[in-house]
Amino acid sequence: MFGRYKPLWGKTPRLKSSYDAVIIGGGLHGLATAYFLARDHGITDVAVLEKRYIGFGGAGRNTAIVRANQRTQENVPFYKEALELWPMLTKELDYNLMFFNCGNLNLMHSEAAMNAARMSIATAQFHGIESHLIDAKQCKELVPALNISEDITYPIFGAMYHPPGGIVRHDAVVWGLAKGASKHGVHIHQQTAVTGIGVENSKIVSVDTDHGKINTPRVLLSAGGYSAAISYEMLGVTLPISVLTIQAMVTQPLKPILNHVVSSGTYHAYAQQTLKGEIATGAHMDPWPNYTTQTTAYYIKHQAEALAEMLPCLRGVKFMRHWAGLADMTPDMAPIMDGNDPIEGYYMDCGWGYFGFKSCAATGKYLAQFMASGNCPDMLKPFNLRRFEQHRLMGETAALMDYSPDN
Amino acid sequence: MNRLSQLPTLRINPAQKISLNYKRKTYQGIGGDTIATALYANGIRIFSRSLKYHRPRGLYSLDGECSNTRMEINGIPNVCTENTLLKNGMTIKAQNVIGTAENDLMGFMDRLDWAMPAGFYYRTMHKPAPIWPIALKQVRKAAGLGKISPDFQMNGKYEEIYPKADVCVIGGGPAGMSAALTAAKQGLRVILLESRPWLGGFFDYRAAEYSNGIHLFERARELAKTVSETPNIRGFIHTAMVGAYNNNLITAFQVGGESDHFDERYIEIRADSVVVATGCIERPLLFENNERPGVMQISCAHRLARTYGLLPGEKAVFSIGHDLGLEAALDLSNLGLKISYVADIREDGQDPGLVADLAKKKIRFLRGWVAILAHGDKSVKKVTLSTIQGTHHRDVDCDLLVASAGMTPLTGPLTLAQAQLAYDNHTGCFLPKKLPVKMHAAGRLMGLNDPLSIEASGNLAGLMAAADCGATVEADLKQTRERLNDLPGPVRGCKLVQAPVKGRKSFICFDEDTTIKNVEQALEMGFDATELVKRFTAAGTGPGQWGIPGHNLPLFVAQYLEDSTVSARPTTVRSPLVPAFIATYAGRNHDMCKRTPAHDSQKSSGGIMRRSGVWKRARYFSRDSGCREEIENVRNNVGMFDASTLGKFRIWGPDALKALQRVYAGNMSKISDGKVKYAAMCNDDGCIIDDGVVVKRGENDYYFTTSTGRAGNTVEWFRYHTRYDGWDFHMINLTDAFGVINLAGPNARKVLEKVADTDVSNEAFPFIGYREFTINNEIPVRALRLGFVGELSYELHVPSSYMQSLWGLVAEAGKQFDIQNFGLEAQNVLRMEKGHVIIGSESEQRTTLHDVGLRFLWDRNKTQAKTVGAVALKQTEKQEGRLTLAGFKMENPSHTPKDGSIIVDSSIRGYVCIARFSFVLKESIGLALVDSPLAKEGTRLQIYEDECKGQHLYGTVVPTPFYDPEGKRLRM
Repeated sequence: MFGRYKPLWGKTPRLKSSYDAVIIGGGLHGLATAYFLARDHGITDVAVLEKRYIGFGGAGRNTAIVRANQRTQENVPFYKEALELWPMLTKELDYNLMFFNCGNLNLMHSEAAMNAARMSIATAQFHGIESHLIDAKQCKELVPALNISEDITYPIFGAMYHPPGGIVRHDAVVWGLAKGASKHGVHIHQQTAVTGIGVENSKIVSVDTDHGKINTPRVLLSAGGYSAAISYEMLGVTLPISVLTIQAMVTQPLKPILNHVVSSGTYHAYAQQTLKGEIATGAHMDPWPNYTTQTTAYYIKHQAEALAEMLPCLRGVKFMRHWAGLADMTPDMAPIMDGNDPIEGYYMDCGWGYFGFKSCAATGKYLAQFMASGNCPDMLKPFNLRRFEQHRLMGETAALMDYSPDN
Repeated sequence: MNRLSQLPTLRINPAQKISLNYKRKTYQGIGGDTIATALYANGIRIFSRSLKYHRPRGLYSLDGECSNTRMEINGIPNVCTENTLLKNGMTIKAQNVIGTAENDLMGFMDRLDWAMPAGFYYRTMHKPAPIWPIALKQVRKAAGLGKISPDFQMNGKYEEIYPKADVCVIGGGPAGMSAALTAAKQGLRVILLESRPWLGGFFDYRAAEYSNGIHLFERARELAKTVSETPNIRGFIHTAMVGAYNNNLITAFQVGGESDHFDERYIEIRADSVVVATGCIERPLLFENNERPGVMQISCAHRLARTYGLLPGEKAVFSIGHDLGLEAALDLSNLGLKISYVADIREDGQDPGLVADLAKKKIRFLRGWVAILAHGDKSVKKVTLSTIQGTHHRDVDCDLLVASAGMTPLTGPLTLAQAQLAYDNHTGCFLPKKLPVKMHAAGRLMGLNDPLSIEASGNLAGLMAAADCGATVEADLKQTRERLNDLPGPVRGCKLVQAPVKGRKSFICFDEDTTIKNVEQALEMGFDATELVKRFTAAGTGPGQWGIPGHNLPLFVAQYLEDSTVSARPTTVRSPLVPAFIATYAGRNHDMCKRTPAHDSQKSSGGIMRRSGVWKRARYFSRDSGCREEIENVRNNVGMFDASTLGKFRIWGPDALKALQRVYAGNMSKISDGKVKYAAMCNDDGCIIDDGVVVKRGENDYYFTTSTGRAGNTVEWFRYHTRYDGWDFHMINLTDAFGVINLAGPNARKVLEKVADTDVSNEAFPFIGYREFTINNEIPVRALRLGFVGELSYELHVPSSYMQSLWGLVAEAGKQFDIQNFGLEAQNVLRMEKGHVIIGSESEQRTTLHDVGLRFLWDRNKTQAKTVGAVALKQTEKQEGRLTLAGFKMENPSHTPKDGSIIVDSSIRGYVCIARFSFVLKESIGLALVDSPLAKEGTRLQIYEDECKGQHLYGTVVPTPFYDPEGKRLRM
């Protein structure tokens, strides 16, 4: 029925001495960009360099939630397109990415929060994206396990209900994109670390790796949490990024109990039930910069406290696995997608924080366009690096952030 | 089933009968039984069905390494019945079955394994696209093990404790107890954690000789007694260690006993040094149907008999790779089990004494043989044994197959703390290579097997831990090291990973139904790192976590990749090492909110208290949601408001002014005596982060307020931005030390006059004034004459302990004017009418001081250099394309736009921060952040509400304040 088992992303290729483009990082963004470069722009002579194995970083550590209910008009259409790409990619890659279009409930615990949600909802509706403000009773109808009583720490006032969102099997996206990219001729080099980036006359000329030197006119930096360090150490380009640990965990598997993604900014907790039946749950990043992927006792306990109130039936469920990844946060919680500035041929795709998963497909598409043409597509222009020196932060978050070292 | 009732090793009490309900029948267990042993005693052999193939599953280990015996107990899913003590009246249900565990309607799935190779779901069900949503539903239904009801209520008491110890020992077996005793002898405080309900570990159930005619179990009890008599050892039994974090933070959960006041409790231990002595579990033997009910591990069979008095079967075959298998076979044979064959994977290296004893018992012993197939549909009926080369076969009838390939050291507590593992060729195990600082390992997990060596390694670890705590133990260390060197070291382990089989039904992970064949498929597809195989096949991600596949998976991957040095590693072990209830982690789940000193007064006056950040605050007092009464009372009469949540600080010292100059945008050297200065702080982007007032109480001594939300960050903010200057100033956060009443309205003075011991006339205490006086000859008040709500008003700051009294006095004095409380919502409307902003409401993270119209709070000529945000304020001063705050008035006052509505034309141009119908002005007015060109007076704003279906609202930009633009009412 399944024929012979062949390597999904081809046999391990030999590292060539030159490529048309080199992508640093075998995560979702790197693989997606490689895929679209090859598919849409005929640039197939591409090397994806991955220090560990593909999907090692954020790609395999996120909680697989997808949605397009961002706050600003610069972001909303971008995430909308990303959302629409899941079924298309499933078909194109011939790999089931298991998009479960269950919808997201973003709980609100005060009148002020309901008003803030309304702004996002109006923004979504203005862009033709479905999103509604619903009250606590409607929340309970959608998620019967929810506690809508008044006597909890943060009683639920209502929610932003966003039906187009859901969950996608994150590992499948990594493997599917790797499969698609390699089919078009992209070389995926695992266990290959970048050790330096060569620049001459402000132009990218080469990339050094622990397996040899590669001549190339284009480099994409998409190394997730490690991007800022690579950018600074290898090119001297400082990025306004704070790296923080972000943690998540799953419970033992259960028969279906949560039919929607449930999240609460106030409780600092979200939960979704994976197709395997585990409740995957996480929250905000740790509030201090940290390059480790170590978990903390405080976090799992906090998560239990939040879930025990929001979804009290889960008190009878057991946590099973707790892990951590890195979130690369910019001051405005929006990413940096930029290129040819300050170095020609140097493209950046980083600062995604915890939005990297849901955005990967759209990012790949537009970055590939950028790298192929050298011209920044309109969709990416708001995400330039210079906005920080011009004090023009994006409005993805209303509240003041307190993770940067100066706060 | 009759119990062996005379064994000295038993941990049961046959006199105590306990009943349980299973499959609509009542069964009897006895005291000390776990749920699984009670069911086993009642002849239950099939406990559940497996996840994918619905294969029958039974008792395989006794420490919860797989989901075979996970069941639903009293509505709680996935309970590990192997180590959950039986309690009277428990209702037990099998999981993942349609019908019963014995007769599961889904049992046919086992024949469909060909259709479900590794990761089949990634390659199927998506073509054509419309079938996926249908398939998805089936996938969801099929997945998951236990069920929980959305209405389920978890009863019981959940505690939490946070003890501190010098040494924390994990594992109450011989090594752990020895370590604890050794460290305790040095006078240290020791915590000892043991997951079973008794101390004893690996010695507890064994009848073999320890030394000098003492049996191992006797030695275990002797050690346990000494431990319990040692006052500086705090032993926690029935306590599973679940997490190890930075700096020796150890977490565990304890199951309460009958006399305990809790059902479970979360324990978080901070220890100076940690000893891990968690021993080993067994490495499963991989052969066809290796998880058939009737197949079990050595210690499972042995402990069933020795601990629970249950002979595990009648006719048994052993297929093992370790002397423990020989010892167990002999012991069980002595207890009455018929054993026809003991097949030992090893060609040589057995203890000759054990081999001779087997011969004496006429048990046939096969060297270099292994089980390759268990026969029988629902339980083992027969086994095929084979030489390990697969050249000769032999079928043997049996109902029990004791199978085990070797040992798996329980290194989880170490690797959680970042220890490295390395493959050890001698033992065939992954052993700890590099231990974290102040963490030590002892006992079997070091590969040791000899009882004396195990104890000696415990002594050594105990001494090393004591040394970490500063004890002088050099001589003891040297001596113990020498003693350990003279004792037998690790024994050669069995290397066999799989029996000579194709592996279609050889399960490397029981929980996920992952077979050897699946792993091969994954490897062929390029998933060539253990971690990738895990993710692709799901091996090791079930409720039993890595217990079953833990070491077999990397060994198998290494073997497949012909990597003789075994560079593959077990996948990363994650906490909790043992699945733990969310209820236990949540513990008592305190709500740590703060209440102002006027909380009770407000509540008794009908205040609706709501959580707002860390505080509980009075949201409103009126019955109408518009708070009309509260608002009009302030405008026409007098109201009182609890503003105690304001951040309040004292800063003093020779360089206090410099610090103020650094963080405030304005010129703080221009604070007049007896006057209040309104001031704002920005961040480096010039964005407004706080506003408040500052008063000068003396030379180099200031008192200032911040917004409620910034109270927690302010001291750190000052310290951070002055960190290189070495300035001499002190700060203290007085937020909780002072309560604040805002007395506001045209009659405010009349009320204050009645209680104040000083002249508060407009001349004596004008607008923007600051005074200190007493009320009732006693209460010291700091009074600020401000006007946030747009009326004559006084902020009265008093020590929190006086707040209740002052609140009462003011309320009493105001009675004759019919003073009323007002809450947050009324304040919100009042200040909006006045055009005053609240940071976070009319500002975003990206909003500068300019954007929000407070440019006048910035002094560009301030001589003090390096004001935080000044550079950005200069650079953004004339920048275009920013969102700017504008006041607007609705064309149709009867429809006030909802807060959060957006301003649009062909794109989004801004949004409404707040809009209300003003009862005073009879207009719908509001504040919006809009693209700067739209902020011009007279611009028509098109407003898009959510769910508006294209019906826009219209407003016009007007100047602010809307109310009393000249500010006359403030100066009344």
